[in-house]
Amino acid sequence: MKKITFIEGITQALDEEMERDKSVFMIGEDIGIYGGVFKATKGLLDKYGEERVIDAPISEVYIAGGSVGAAMVGMRPVPEIQFADFITPSMDQIIQQMAKMRYRTGGQWTCPMTMRVCCGADIGGGLYHSQTNEQWFFSQPGLIVVMPATPYDAKGLLKSAIRGDDPVIYFEHKRLYRWIKEEIPDEDFTVPIGKAALRNKGDDITIVSYGLMYHRALEAVKGLEKDGISVDLIDLRTLLPWDREMIFESVKKTSKVVLVQESPKTGGVMAEISASITEEMFDYLDAPVTRVCGLDVPVVPFAPPMEHFFLPNAEKITKAVKEVLEY
Amino acid sequence: MPSKKDSKNPTLKQIGLPKETLLGLYSNLLRTRMLDERFRKLFRQGRFAGTYFSAVGQEATTVGPTFGLRDEDIIAPSHREIGANVTKGVPLERIVAQVYARANSPDKGKSHPCHYGWQPKGVITPASTLAGQTIVGTGCAMGFKIQKKDNVVLAFFGEGSTSRGGWHEALNYAGIHKLPVVYICQNNLWAESVPATLQAGIKDFADRAKAYGFPGVTIDGNDVFEVHKTSVKAIERARKGEGPTLIECKTYRWYGHSEIDPADYRLQKELDEWKSKDPVNRAEELLMSLKVLETQKREALVEQFTQEIDEAVKICENEQYAEPEEAYNDVYSDQFPVIRSEEREAMS
Repeated sequence: MKKITFIEGITQALDEEMERDKSVFMIGEDIGIYGGVFKATKGLLDKYGEERVIDAPISEVYIAGGSVGAAMVGMRPVPEIQFADFITPSMDQIIQQMAKMRYRTGGQWTCPMTMRVCCGADIGGGLYHSQTNEQWFFSQPGLIVVMPATPYDAKGLLKSAIRGDDPVIYFEHKRLYRWIKEEIPDEDFTVPIGKAALRNKGDDITIVSYGLMYHRALEAVKGLEKDGISVDLIDLRTLLPWDREMIFESVKKTSKVVLVQESPKTGGVMAEISASITEEMFDYLDAPVTRVCGLDVPVVPFAPPMEHFFLPNAEKITKAVKEVLEY
Repeated sequence: MPSKKDSKNPTLKQIGLPKETLLGLYSNLLRTRMLDERFRKLFRQGRFAGTYFSAVGQEATTVGPTFGLRDEDIIAPSHREIGANVTKGVPLERIVAQVYARANSPDKGKSHPCHYGWQPKGVITPASTLAGQTIVGTGCAMGFKIQKKDNVVLAFFGEGSTSRGGWHEALNYAGIHKLPVVYICQNNLWAESVPATLQAGIKDFADRAKAYGFPGVTIDGNDVFEVHKTSVKAIERARKGEGPTLIECKTYRWYGHSEIDPADYRLQKELDEWKSKDPVNRAEELLMSLKVLETQKREALVEQFTQEIDEAVKICENEQYAEPEEAYNDVYSDQFPVIRSEEREAMS
């Protein structure tokens, strides 16, 4: 067992999967010579050569669509989109090719690829280096969407994504890269896609979150416990397909839910989970399903007070929990 | 008596292709034309749903490059590449089944007419988003290069697709890495209703290749033998790892964008001129004058193809649609089955 950071978990997963399987290769902007703008791919060019660690031109359409093509002829591409903010040119290829390849071809052609997308706010990145944008992909069946919150999951989920036969968008929150450290096993391990993690057990209320917001929720839970409130805290890990079973089981037990996400409230992941709980678990509920989300504004604003105002935090989560409990 | 026209024809030596190749190209042209015209008729009879995208008039641009390819070579098509499917050897019954959207269609009825795809022969089922398969096909070529395989990719698109940003990104990448891909631009002068003059400020779309550092050639896209010879050179170059080629085939589609388009944006004179350059007739007249083809042989081919098409249509008309619940399949691998509506209801 050794302690690693979140970003080390990613680098290790890439390194180990490239070592294990020659069909795994990477393509992205600044990932080769420079080792990635956050150094997630550091050292991999020297180890695996320029045919498998490809410094792409500034071509997000091709990085996505080219990876789809390579996947169709037996490769396992791991393209990187440097910032979730810059993923928009790739949307055509992600939505029309990557997500639909298996379906539109009747299963003749498949697309086993893992697109790594660096995302998230709370680092003072400004408008175009702070968005998460996972909600755009969450609403596209055919894609798998994951967003780990811990170093263990960062490594294990990335390995599962690369080894699996489906197209995965893997969101990595840049605020977590060097903030969180965790002990991980020395031996090979994976984290299953589609399974959430129950990080804290309690009977009074359920909080569901993912990515950076899981840590904000955890901070809230610690405070709530001091006040004698016990919380089921679920880290979603996989957003699509999300773990209905775990969430529904928890709702049956607690009858109260707070859902937390970093991206804007309207049309987000938690909107769907909220609707599903209301639709399918209504008889178990003792209070309205409540969301704590980023603001419904076009983008994360830059000035630090405004950025923090945009984001959910422990205080906002605690307030929402207390309101639901008092309902 | 040889006519004046015949005297202008090249000799066998000048053409420089073996007789089997000449006949092979011609019979694929003829078979494609007959199948295409049959589909148009069947559509008018209301025998299949949706619409139909005819490629009549531009068959040489797909038959010529595809003839002689290996099974492992990839066809990255758009929606007017019926000729590439026929020539690559996709079973006729599967081509008809695709248009009929029946259970025996390779895509099980999920994709709409003319989105032919057949994995065993390397044909990608296309998306409607133009230049889509140019980008994905370039990715296939990137895969082959990493695998050190000498397979090639033929990416087909119209002149209109070259206006898209993703098209540029793909060719730019292929130029940097000398990928084994041949780009076939079927310049039929019209992108649905928009003329090529409103598509780009250049006359010859092959000129675009200069910007990517590989050769671009403009050829007569209604001369199947020229198209074939130019493509063979480009394919050999790609196989040897020397990089892509952009081949612009000047051609024309006789009918509308799809069968519901009367194509009244074009002048009759233009259509008549291009009809006089019919690629099937031209190949036929040339081969007849060279004594490679005789009337008897032609009639035998027509009879054979009529029977084959009749048979394929009959099979597909007797075939059922897939069950509606097929809609739930092929979303993910078996690891992630889609939750069906009745299962959701049962849960709540």
